[in-house]
Amino acid sequence: MLEVSDLKVSYGAINAVRGVSLRLSEGELVTLLGANGAGKSSTLLAIAGALKSSGTVRLDGTDVSGWSPERIVRQGVAMVPETRDVFPDLTVAENLLLGAYARRRDRDGVAEDRQRMFALFPRLQERQEQAAGTLSGGEQQMLVIARALMSRPRLLLLDEPSLGLAPTVVDQIFAMIAELKRQRLTILLVEQNASKALALADRAYVLRLGKVAAEGRAAEIAAASDLEHLYLGG
Amino acid sequence: MKPGNILTLVILLGLVALLVLVPQLVGSRVVERIATALAISLVLVVGLQTFTGNSGILSFAHVGFMGIGAYASAVLTIPVQMRGMALPDLYGVLAQIQVTPLVGIALGGVVAALVAALVAYPLMRLSDAPAVITSFALLVVIYTVLQHWSAVTNGPRTLFGLPKATTLPLTAAIASVVIVVALAFKESRTGLLLRASRDDERAAAALGAGIPALRWRAFILSALIAGIGGALWGHFVTSFSPKAFYLKETFVILGMLVIGGMNTVTGAVIGAFLISLLFEGLRALETALNASGVFANQVVGVTEIVLALAMMAVMFLQPGGLFAATEIGPLILRRFTRRAPP
Amino acid sequence: MQTLLQFTIDVLSLGGAYALMALGLVIVYGILKLVNFAYGELIMVAGYGLFLMNGSGLPWLVMAAVAVLIAVVTGVLTEYAAFRPVRAKSVTAVLITSFAFSTILQNAALLFISPRPRNVPLPDLFSQTVAFGGILIPARNLITIVASIGLLLLFAFLMKRTVLGIAMRAAATQFRMARMLGVPANLIISTAFAISGFFAGVVSLLWIGRIGSVTPGVGLEPLLVAFIATVIGGMRSLQGAVLGGFLLAFINTALNYLLTQDLLQFRDAFTFTLVILILLWRPEGLIRGPATGQRT
Ligand SMILES: Nc1ncnc2c1ncn2[C@@H]1O[C@H](COP(=O)(O)OP(=O)(O)OP(=O)(O)O)[C@@H](O)[C@H]1O
Ligand SMILES: [Mg+2]
Repeated sequence: MLEVSDLKVSYGAINAVRGVSLRLSEGELVTLLGANGAGKSSTLLAIAGALKSSGTVRLDGTDVSGWSPERIVRQGVAMVPETRDVFPDLTVAENLLLGAYARRRDRDGVAEDRQRMFALFPRLQERQEQAAGTLSGGEQQMLVIARALMSRPRLLLLDEPSLGLAPTVVDQIFAMIAELKRQRLTILLVEQNASKALALADRAYVLRLGKVAAEGRAAEIAAASDLEHLYLGG
Repeated sequence: MKPGNILTLVILLGLVALLVLVPQLVGSRVVERIATALAISLVLVVGLQTFTGNSGILSFAHVGFMGIGAYASAVLTIPVQMRGMALPDLYGVLAQIQVTPLVGIALGGVVAALVAALVAYPLMRLSDAPAVITSFALLVVIYTVLQHWSAVTNGPRTLFGLPKATTLPLTAAIASVVIVVALAFKESRTGLLLRASRDDERAAAALGAGIPALRWRAFILSALIAGIGGALWGHFVTSFSPKAFYLKETFVILGMLVIGGMNTVTGAVIGAFLISLLFEGLRALETALNASGVFANQVVGVTEIVLALAMMAVMFLQPGGLFAATEIGPLILRRFTRRAPP
Repeated sequence: MQTLLQFTIDVLSLGGAYALMALGLVIVYGILKLVNFAYGELIMVAGYGLFLMNGSGLPWLVMAAVAVLIAVVTGVLTEYAAFRPVRAKSVTAVLITSFAFSTILQNAALLFISPRPRNVPLPDLFSQTVAFGGILIPARNLITIVASIGLLLLFAFLMKRTVLGIAMRAAATQFRMARMLGVPANLIISTAFAISGFFAGVVSLLWIGRIGSVTPGVGLEPLLVAFIATVIGGMRSLQGAVLGGFLLAFINTALNYLLTQDLLQFRDAFTFTLVILILLWRPEGLIRGPATGQRT
């Protein structure tokens, strides 16, 4: 489904990603772990087309390297960035509507999906007409995930969905990811909460200083004694 | 002082010295006039660099302060017996005071700096676009006042009778001082903090830098230099009207600065040299075209169009200008040390 | 009472035109963080469009529509020719490019047309007056009020109710995120310039309708108005631009009524002092708007 090889990203003199290769099969949940600054977010942004990068990214065999983000969305990739990026002065409903921008002509489908999202996140329904910037952190996170799903993606890129949330909300989010996985959505999940992510994932990659330091089945990675070592970048 | 800075100073002052020497060697009045005009541009552009380069905020008001300096010096230096004719409605006390041009030039700078200190303080809290926009509005306001304050400026009409006092050596000397001051200011504590704020306003504020106050100082210094430059220009051309201190001049000064590179004093100096020489060439071309009669109408505005295209090309190819970040001294030293065998 | 009515109509007609000027500037600023100095020249080209069609025998409304179209096309082309190449560079680089481009357009008008004012065709209606409530009102003032309020309402509706409008508002705060949802950057930017050109074109009709002729520098005053209005209203919000436009019109009209002939020459200086006072009180303008995100 997704095949990334030798991906490189740099910000001026800083080489944030230095030759990362990944592959995800249809319906797989893969988690990308690593210490702060390891290059996880940069990798995700590069896959989504939002950062200039070198190397190749293939989606179902199509080479999409260098494509603009708007074109990549239309290939069925949705991104939930770590910075959340709700549109603060737009209402919750308008935020969701834009999530479906790539398929805006399918009005019935969009309306139907919106109801689905409201069923999934009842809180958003209550706050439909509220400006997104006034939502709490957890609500914003729900909104961004719902917004990403509105495009009916085939591949979901999730960057630290549990960041800064209360434990109960974190559990909700993970329950939802599990549900999406059950529906056979392909997911690439970046998480700091490694144990939770590994419990859910099929496979895992560990990044260190912009390179893949370890990869394998989630259970193996979880069991590996040097995980902590890799993780802390020591 | 670091060797790089010394080298920068030597090179830039060397250029100014060259400016004095070449007309001597050529022995041409025309060349001397061009060199003097260039030296005045140097004062103005380097003056603008002290604010814009360090704070990162483009100021469109600079030429307004140039105008204030020019008029202030004019009012104080036009011979008293002529003043009744040039400025019949001038207020009592002012009508009687007369100072020498040199004092007038200095006072021109002081008046411009005082006005800047007064009006700019509230504006220095603004950043980015609002700061640029209000500086532009300030230019328009200064222009409006110069144009309508007939008692002091003779209104939109030309003001005559300034003593001719601006010589090439004098201008070159002042330009040299201005270059030294600009380099020193850049390396001063205020300059360093300002430059830090340019790159990251929040971080600099966290360092305890009161950014508006820093900008204010730079702005006053910049207006002081602009006022001196304007007065020099006034005593160079000896008659002018407010039109001289408006958009056209702003465009030229700004063009020199951004093409050279606004973040460095080297950029300001090189920009002033390059564009002045380019302009002389184009002006000659325009005159020739008009004389040849190829075009039915007067050819006007070609110089501006060429400068505008040059600016756009530089913004496209090297947005920071020719000397975007590093002064020429360190640049040369770096090249030299890199080439040296290990 | 009559003075009050007169005053209100003056403020509304001036404010309507000012609000359109400000909106045309801020729509581009919101998306690109570009202070477009060449905005005044969009007003100029529409004016020269009218001038060139003088004597063509077309109905005035057709000429007006073509003039507005010229401004729209010039706006979009400016973006392609001048801004797209430097868009990813620094904000300052784009600003300088716009200043340079403004100079090119003005000097081109100087070179190819004339430095002197050129008369534009205007319908008779523009010079008629209407008696209302005991005062005589120039019909063009009423036209300005109706046209500007109508356009402001239409614009507000489009920005709220169409997907493209919502996407434009989204892109003004989080451009990259909007792109990651599939909103095409180029479409948004071109639309912003088209809207900017449209407002400039309409403003041109209303503004030149007041003065009756066009010069290379005709765009300067509207540009300055747009600048001041957006700064006091708040550069990050469309409502701010409209509010700023009406407020500035209020200040200017009030000064017109209050100042003596001598002092009226310095009206700009008084206005500017008030602007400074407003900024002392609210450096970010009256309406803050959300913190803006990146632009690419
Ligand atoms: N816009 C930027 N400009 C400069 N450097 C950046 C930028 N974004 C990221 N970096 C640098 O790139 C490196 C990788 O950053 P990235 O955000 O990809 O890390 P990460 O693995 O997501 O970290 P975290 O767990 O903290 O989110 C870091 O060293 C960071 O400082
Ligand atoms: Mg990250």
